[in-house]
Amino acid sequence: MTQLVEQEFELEERKEKSIVKNIFKWIGLNLKFLFVPGYRIEELTIREQEYEKTISKRKFIRRLKSILTIIGIAIVFMIVTFAVFAPWISPYTFAESNGVYTGSWDPPSPGHLLGQTNFGRDILARMIWGARSSLTIALPAITLSVVVGVIFGIIAAYFGGWIDSVIMRISDIFFAFPGLIFAIVLVGVLGRRMEYIILAYGILGIPYYSRLIRASVLQAKELPYVEAARVSGAKNWRIMFKHIMPNCIQPIIISFTFDIGGVILSFAGLAFLGYSDPSLIEWGRDIDIGRGHLVNAPWASFWPGLMIIFTVLGFMLIGDGLRDALDPRLRNL
Amino acid sequence: MSMIKYILRRLLVMIPVLFGVLLITFVLSRMMPGDPILANIPQVFTQEQYDAARHRLGFDLPIWQQFFIYIGNLFTGNWGYSVSINKGQEVWELIWQRFPRTIDIALFSMIIASFIGIKTGVISATHRNKARDTILRGAALIGVSIPIFWLGLILQLTLSYRLGLFPAVGYKTLTYDEPVFLTGFRIIDSLVSGQWYIITDYLYHLALPVLCLSFITLASITRQTRSSMLEVLQQDYVRTARAKGCREKDVINKHAKKNALIPTVTVIGLNIGGLLGGAVLTETTFNLHGVGELLLRAIVDRDYYVINAIVFMVTIIFIAVNLFTDLIYAHLDPRIKY
Repeated sequence: MTQLVEQEFELEERKEKSIVKNIFKWIGLNLKFLFVPGYRIEELTIREQEYEKTISKRKFIRRLKSILTIIGIAIVFMIVTFAVFAPWISPYTFAESNGVYTGSWDPPSPGHLLGQTNFGRDILARMIWGARSSLTIALPAITLSVVVGVIFGIIAAYFGGWIDSVIMRISDIFFAFPGLIFAIVLVGVLGRRMEYIILAYGILGIPYYSRLIRASVLQAKELPYVEAARVSGAKNWRIMFKHIMPNCIQPIIISFTFDIGGVILSFAGLAFLGYSDPSLIEWGRDIDIGRGHLVNAPWASFWPGLMIIFTVLGFMLIGDGLRDALDPRLRNL
Repeated sequence: MSMIKYILRRLLVMIPVLFGVLLITFVLSRMMPGDPILANIPQVFTQEQYDAARHRLGFDLPIWQQFFIYIGNLFTGNWGYSVSINKGQEVWELIWQRFPRTIDIALFSMIIASFIGIKTGVISATHRNKARDTILRGAALIGVSIPIFWLGLILQLTLSYRLGLFPAVGYKTLTYDEPVFLTGFRIIDSLVSGQWYIITDYLYHLALPVLCLSFITLASITRQTRSSMLEVLQQDYVRTARAKGCREKDVINKHAKKNALIPTVTVIGLNIGGLLGGAVLTETTFNLHGVGELLLRAIVDRDYYVINAIVFMVTIIFIAVNLFTDLIYAHLDPRIKY
């Protein structure tokens, strides 16, 4: 009896292993297909349509393979590594880099490679920990604005009429606010907590994305495939989110990567002005802290700023590469 | 005639937008924790004193009533009184002491950025994929990613503290007087009263902030000019111009550039919001006592009317600039008619 159970167990285990193996094999095949010119997957050549699709994918990857984009991907990869593995990479723990020590504003030394800021905190450690807070604020904020903005934009463009004008007038109002000033007022009202900063930037981005997608949906909804879907009995919601949205999402993807950089930059400005979560380590606030000792300890504000430039540059480079690869108007150039 | 109609229609559309902006700022500013009434009464106070101050400032009415009174006053020219920053001073006066400086740096940096940005954009489009283009594109990307407050600090450190070329903070030499007050704009005022040294001193102080602020728009203008220029250079009429034997300089400047500028003008117009936001950062870095700094203080001190008035003015400027850019289209491109 027990033998039988064990046998079954083994069998299952082998099955699982083979699934994992298959997945890896599949990924390997795809990577080969995408990156090695002339490599073919036999399964795909059978089905003509599928083949066409992957051919265009391959072209896309090839267009993406410019040196600047690869640099951008490398930078972003590095920043994400900093953010995820900060406890292992950083020379000091989070608590230690927020502690109080002697040696405020000391120049670089073997124990502190980039020098010390106020209360003798290590700058290198704070730079690495700062990546975490930047990404944890920028990514949810952008995701929020993309999701809500896309939904509102599609609804506005698809239904038209008074729904369109109401949504667009509201977005006009938010558009007329200068971004940073709105963020300051909102964070001032809600309080200096991370969630509220995310919310403020999330709201700020909504009108921008809804406008962006509205323009392309307005064109797309007149196309024959929408009519075909309607004739075959699809409901409005299905047409909007299954048929139209995938065809209009491209400009959103491009500006998504750009805007991650933009939000990190703007959020650093907010932190510089003193509107940041005091429990986080942020580059913007570190620059503000170092400002008072600019002459005798320039490293305290120099390094966090360099980190901001680096991060934003990485996202901008990827965005640039994506735009070159995806934007149909630039394809022939 | 249709132009006037178009302007009128745009102005009518402005009204609900302005109303919405006012409503949102009003509600948001009233939601802020903190109580400006406490700044208007002695440290130790009785309930009667508190109620009296509250009544005097008009904060005891229901919130919607306050809002409509505020709107009514706003459009009759009464922008209210400062409650906590400079008690009893008219908000309009308080803002106007600072607003010209913000406008000056925003305007100067926008002009400089457009000049340089369009030039570099055209150069990198005409030298596409050559060394010059790559360098300019790389520079533009880095320019987009630099936080301007950091750039300001670095400029202060190198150019003023270490080399002593420019003054680091402030907008005038301390011993200099204010010019006779006419419009509030320092340049115009001192020009009228003939105090030339004040103008040079002022421009000398503004050099670093303007340089810093122009970075915000410079890169995006360059990029936009480059991509629209590339698109235009593919057009048939450019080929025709070349075929008929135009000099390359004339092809670029007369045939291509004018058409390529239209999207660039939109970008410049849309950037004005970012510029005014960036002015807050630059003013803080260079201690310029502009309107952005006033806004920060008003938020800290819960000076409701000042917050509302500044956001209102900034919004009006933003909308007006965008209307203006739409009108410039017609000048740049005679095909566009309203």
